[in-house]
Formats: sequence, structure tokens, C-alpha cells
Amino acid sequence: MSLTMRKMLHNFSALAELGTEISSTHDFDEVVRASLHMLLGTLAIPRGAIARYSHEPQQLKVVAAKGLQKAVGQKIALCREEVAHLTRHAEPLTLQAEQNGLSEFVHRNSEVFKRLRAHTSVPMVARGELMGMILLSEKFTREDYDAEDIEIINTIARHIAIAFYNHRLMVALRRKAEENQRLYREMHEIYRDTVKAFGAAIDLKDAYTSGHSERVGRYSEAIARELGVADQQLDYITVAGYLHDIGKITVDRAIINNPRPLTDREFKELNKHAATGYEILSHIRHPWDEIAQMAGSHHEKFDGTGYPRGLSGEAIPLGARIVTLADSFDAMMTDRPYRARLPLDRALADLARNTGTQFCPTVVAAFCRLLLKEITGMTRERVFLPMIGIKFDRAAISATLSEMILEFEPQRLAG
Amino acid sequence: MNSLDIHMRHVEGAAVIYPGAYLNQLRGESIERCCLELLDSGVRHIVINFSETELINSIGISILLGVIEAVNEARGTLVLASLNPSNRELFAMLGLDAHVRIADGEEAALSDLYRELQSTAV
Repeated sequence: MSLTMRKMLHNFSALAELGTEISSTHDFDEVVRASLHMLLGTLAIPRGAIARYSHEPQQLKVVAAKGLQKAVGQKIALCREEVAHLTRHAEPLTLQAEQNGLSEFVHRNSEVFKRLRAHTSVPMVARGELMGMILLSEKFTREDYDAEDIEIINTIARHIAIAFYNHRLMVALRRKAEENQRLYREMHEIYRDTVKAFGAAIDLKDAYTSGHSERVGRYSEAIARELGVADQQLDYITVAGYLHDIGKITVDRAIINNPRPLTDREFKELNKHAATGYEILSHIRHPWDEIAQMAGSHHEKFDGTGYPRGLSGEAIPLGARIVTLADSFDAMMTDRPYRARLPLDRALADLARNTGTQFCPTVVAAFCRLLLKEITGMTRERVFLPMIGIKFDRAAISATLSEMILEFEPQRLAG
Repeated sequence: MNSLDIHMRHVEGAAVIYPGAYLNQLRGESIERCCLELLDSGVRHIVINFSETELINSIGISILLGVIEAVNEARGTLVLASLNPSNRELFAMLGLDAHVRIADGEEAALSDLYRELQSTAV
């Protein structure tokens, strides 16, 4: 093989390796270091450095070096005119010569160039922007760089410049994405707080139900999570829990707070709140239609005897089945105008008796598992216990819950 | 790769390094570190055996330049052994063959070194 052919092959393989390295997923500092090695190795140059250009402050800073002590971090000062000149004339510049229009730049940085043992500098320009500079020592053989060497240096410098340009774009994109995520998280918190505030506003209408909506929201979230619901769906179910009674804002306060048994007309009026809730929430665009369905169906019963639509079984959205149970359990555990709160064993007996008719068995089983975990200390989470208190027979309640799990567990639904 | 992990053996008054394919990647920098450690510990004669190195790429050359300079600065001797024809051509093309000793094999490299050591002793 002729020497020219051998040299061409060597240069081609170096360029191919450089392309592979630049498009790799390696850490960018590593890519820069490997690229520098490739350039130096291609032309047998013992020492070199790559400096990155920054606008603010306007300088070149060494980010990779080979064969030089304490080179990384060294700074090269330059002014706006010099940046423009380097960008326009992206050609290797012999630092000893002063015929290149950059004599002041060379003179001002002569100490740094000396420390970096730099003989030649090559501006790295991509898409009309200065990305940095490559600094090269003499060749190992002390021969001058010939025209072919200059071509190779220019080509490699352009490749590395594009890598810097793309990396800067990626960093900017990543920052933007992080910023968007942060904004999304903040907005989501505001949204959750607003929903909670709405829930609290709904509860204010009823002297007996302070905190009810918030508890139903929390209970619904815990039960849904226990059933394996995650991400957005979990969020929707939680919101449906907080807002399930939103329709009550249109119901006369006197009916809601009536301590006597309600008349048929009053019942009819009160029962409208589920459909009204759906009406209110369904006018808000997606995903609220799903939330509206859940909130509007929280008085549906598993056997189809509920209202407003008489849905049954899985035709009732899972979120609604969860909210129904959370709502009923909280109602049982709080004083109402017409009765005092129920003891826990009574409440569980009521739940068991109405499972399959009013309540979805899968949801009841999930609720029982959660409650059992809290009572037996298998979890540190305290979702139900704060409301239940400590006055109950733990052994008896645990036994009841275990029985209920056994009874309702096999009837798991896909949701 | 840690410099301690590099395949290497000490022989009388010298060390032989087997770079394999590690030379051709950034991890190959540890070979240069290994040579510097040897020089610091007083070893002045180093043989690099390339019998397991099919190809030396540009990163490999860059790393070897560091090794050559370090050995020269320490006034030591570096012998490159068992270079295949392709790698030998590469060294010649880059003009490096004039700056390092090249031996056909490890034994020849070590014999060469011993001869020199004996003549220095005399």
C-alpha cells in the first residue's frame, strides 16, 4: 500500500471514529476528550487542548487537554472584534506569527499560550457561531503542518464545533424541559389546592360535614392506589372525591341542614345534587368530563338501584364506585343531624351488608385491606385512623376485616 | 480501567506491558498512567508488547505519544514489540519509528535491553 493511501485510510478511520464518538451517548466531557485524542493521534501531535467559548463572560476556557499539566480551566481573553474575526476566518492560526490580524489577541494571551505550549490555534465555528478553539503543539516530529494536515485539522475542528453546538442545544432543551416540569408541578399544586378549597367551600354549606370533601378525596385516593390505579387516573379519582358534592351548592341550605326527616320534595331536591354536580363539572374541558362522570355517579348503586341514571356494576366508573364507598364510610363515621356517628364495628357491618348491592366488592376489599394495614401497623400511613380514633376492639375489627377481605377479594374487577 | 488492572509483568530491570485493545479508547489513558508509575518507581526500561493489539487507532497513537515523551523525559528506554505490519506501517507513516525502538518480539526487545544494560554496566 502506498504511503499516500495509508495516510488517507488513517485519516478516514480517524474521522469515522470521531463521528461515532460525537454521535455516541457518552458523557459530553468524555466525547470532547476522546475527540481531542483523535485529532492529536491522527497527526501525531503530543499536546493539545480544547477551549469552549462563552459569551458571558466573553472568554475561551480550556475544557479538555492532553499532555499538559493543569491546563483545564485556563482562560483565554478575547474581545468582540476578535470573536468576529475568528468566526469569519475559521482557519488554523500560527500563534508565533503576527501577520494574521489577531496580533493583539496573540500578544494579550501569550502567557496562557506559552503555558499551554500552543503552537497553532484553530477556531471551532458552527452555523456562523464561535464555539471554541483547539490549541495544538508542534507535531511530535517537529515537522511543520502541511496543507493536508491543515485540511484534516479544519475538518475535525468543524466536527467538534458541531458537537459543541448540538450539545448546547441539548442543554438548553433539557433546561427548558426541567423548567416546564417545575412549572407543571407548581400548576398542579395550585390546581390541587384550588380543588381542595372548592371542597372546603362545599362543606361550609353543611354545618355537620366540615372536612367531609377533603376526607372523601383522601380516602378515594388511598383506595384507588390500593387498587393499583396510578398517574392521571389516580389524580382524577382524587379530584372526584374532593368535588363529589359540588352539586350541593345549588341545594337550599335549609334542606341540607334539616335535623328532621326530609319530605319527599326535599329528598327529590337534595338528590338532584349528583346530576347538578355532573352538569357543573362536565362543562370544563377534558379531563374533567371523566371527573364529572365519577362525581355525578357517586350515588349510583352496584345493583342498579341508585341515582341519577340507575347504572349498575362496571357500568359505574371505577372512580365513582370508590367515591361512593369513601363518601358512605365518612358519613357513617361522623355525626349527622339525624343520628350520631356509628361505632366502627357497626359501620363495617353496614358496609358488609350492602356490598354487592350498594358497594362494589372489589372496592370494599381494597378498603378493608388498607384499614387492616393501618390497624395492624403494617403501614405508617394514617388515612382512616385519624377519623376512626382508637376506641375499638382491634382484635375483633381485624378479624372482621380479614373475613370481609376473604369474602369480597375473589370478586376483583378490572376497573 | 485502573492502572493496576493493566496486564503487565516485571522482568529483571524492566517491565513489559500488554495493552491489548485497551489502548484504543479513553480507558487506555491508564496505560500512560501505568508507565508514569513505573518510571516514578525507578523502572527505566519499558517494553510494550502489541501481540494482542490488532489495530492502533488515533486515540492509541495519542496515548502512546504521551508514553514515548514520558520515557524520553525520564531518560529511559521504550521498546515497542510485536507490532503487526499494519501497525508498523502506521508508526512509519507518522514518523514515530525514528523516535522509538521497535523489536520483532518481546524476547528480542528484552535481549536488546539487557545488552544495553550490560554495556552500560561495563
